[in-house]
Amino acid sequence: MSLDSVPSLRRSRRGGREALLAKVLGALALLFALPYVAMLAYLVVRGGAKVFAFTSIATPLSGVSGETTMRLAVALLLFGGLAWPVATLARRFLRERVPERAIAGVAFTTALILAFTLRDHLPRFLISLPSETRAGGGIAPEIFNTLYAAAISTVVTLPIGVGAAVYIARFAGSRPLARALRTSLDTLASLPSIVYGLFGFAVFVVQMRAGYSLFAGALVLALLNLPIVVGVTEESLAAVPQELEDASLALGASRAQTIFRVTLPYAWPGIVSAAVLSVGRVFAESAPLIMTAGTSISRGNAYSLDPFRGGETLAVHLWYVNSSGLSPDKAEVSAGTAAVLVLLVFLMNSVASKFVSRARAEHA
Amino acid sequence: MHAAAELSTETRALDATKNRRASSVEDWFAHVFLACALVVVLGTIAVFAYLLRSGVQGVANTGIVELITGTVWKPEAGAFGGLALVTGTLATALGATALGAAPAILGAVVVNELASKKAYAAYRRTMEVAASVPSVVFGWLALRFLVPASDTFAHRIYGQDAAVSGEGLAVAAVLLSLMIGPTVSLLTLDALARVPRSLREASAALGASPLQTALRMTLPTAWRGVVAAVFFGFARAAGETMAVQMVIGGARKVASNLFQPTTTISTQIVMDMQNTLPGTTTNQVLYSMALVLLVISTGVVLTMRLLGRRAT
Repeated sequence: MSLDSVPSLRRSRRGGREALLAKVLGALALLFALPYVAMLAYLVVRGGAKVFAFTSIATPLSGVSGETTMRLAVALLLFGGLAWPVATLARRFLRERVPERAIAGVAFTTALILAFTLRDHLPRFLISLPSETRAGGGIAPEIFNTLYAAAISTVVTLPIGVGAAVYIARFAGSRPLARALRTSLDTLASLPSIVYGLFGFAVFVVQMRAGYSLFAGALVLALLNLPIVVGVTEESLAAVPQELEDASLALGASRAQTIFRVTLPYAWPGIVSAAVLSVGRVFAESAPLIMTAGTSISRGNAYSLDPFRGGETLAVHLWYVNSSGLSPDKAEVSAGTAAVLVLLVFLMNSVASKFVSRARAEHA
Repeated sequence: MHAAAELSTETRALDATKNRRASSVEDWFAHVFLACALVVVLGTIAVFAYLLRSGVQGVANTGIVELITGTVWKPEAGAFGGLALVTGTLATALGATALGAAPAILGAVVVNELASKKAYAAYRRTMEVAASVPSVVFGWLALRFLVPASDTFAHRIYGQDAAVSGEGLAVAAVLLSLMIGPTVSLLTLDALARVPRSLREASAALGASPLQTALRMTLPTAWRGVVAAVFFGFARAAGETMAVQMVIGGARKVASNLFQPTTTISTQIVMDMQNTLPGTTTNQVLYSMALVLLVISTGVVLTMRLLGRRAT
């Protein structure tokens, strides 16, 4: 709880040394926060320049299967991502005259049309294959792998996490299993990510002799995300008013019906934000993926939907390019990759915080 | 707060048992949630089982004393002295905490106690975004800016011909301090927000200025939460892998000053793991080193939990 309602408590009425000291401390705090602002601005501006250089000449297809679909997906992501801030701005200026739904509809239809027409005219960097030794490599397979691994991982972690959260919140009380579950979640949350990498390496690469695969990476990250998913879901379940559940039970609904028709629908913003946070974590994580999904992109199956192939994600690519890449435009590629990565993580975090604040507003 | 939540959970569980119907669908459905809970517990047990199985063998093969105090790390020659790794991890994590904790706490206190509502919101949003920046991005930026700067600095101190470079403990500690700053600051904000408003009002009523209230009342009242935030930052710094790997230099020896390439536990695990065969001593020893890392970071987290439990 902050002192928002009593601003006068924050402002000093004394002059002289006291006020001066407060000002100095404020300046120090600003000095602490400014480098982060500068860093974020640098990442987005410097890398954005590399990424968003539009080309009017169509980039030729390189003959890898799945490339057309991939281009469309990148275009949808790009224009959809641009449509969001545009729609928000338009809403602020036009709210008096135009209904909100119309604005959103127009923005996203435009994005859809642009995505279909411009999919071969996107920045080359976003839709071409990486290059080990020559300049001009792109990050298309990395974007694909990142999204694909995030999808697999979230599909695995979300049902288990939500199920475990419902178990703790509605079934277990203080039974031994609930206590074991809490201890497990606390432990998982405190493990360094390299330990997850070792575990995944031992199970999938060594024990199952499956080699490096996206699937292994996604499963390890699913385990890593469980504490977040359970924690956020549990919080949103705790906010469900008990009267609603009691009313449902009193109307003769079974416990199953109550949970699936009343509790979970009421808690949905929390569950969505849990999913989004887990996706963001997959985008950002590198060490466990290096040890389970590997650092390679093979030309043949760069866009293959087979999850049992190896493949690097954006974060791994950024590390790989800097530690053992040989291409002369390393700095450019890194800047572009970092910008795409950071923008994706921002997008995920803003979506998550939007859902959290919506949940709070609804419950308040 | 926590106790209340637990109480209501228990009453809900009781209600649920009362309303229970003995239909088979209901049983099946309760078992699904039970299964989810079991998967989480079994997953955790599996992580530890795999870690311990190889790790304990590694310790048995080399001896714990050699693993922690031996000075030569040459897996290809069968030498597993982990002193450089352990000191590297401890030095970078301690250095990062020493450098990064104070500014992060100061920022949080100033923004929470003295600044306007708008400044608070802007600061909080900045820190949330900075905390979510992937660690490789931090590593790349450090490689680009901090390493050259540290190189110049080191040569200015030790002379142009000295055997020092930009990569090493100093740059890793600075990088980690920047990485843990937002996390520590956010956790401190949460701890400060838990101080009841009545205490602040009482302090103001006694004639204390906002600054006096912040430094003499709020911060001392919230100290457990603040210490927990710092410990959490330390654990995160100790466990960080890829960002440190990019700037530490990767030399497998104990550094004699802050500007020489050396290594850390997590760096060495990720680098050596690619070159080992399963079942070999090298492979097992890497798991043993992960156990050592776990003792360093989890030990701190456990202390934090104890402090946190007493705080509520």
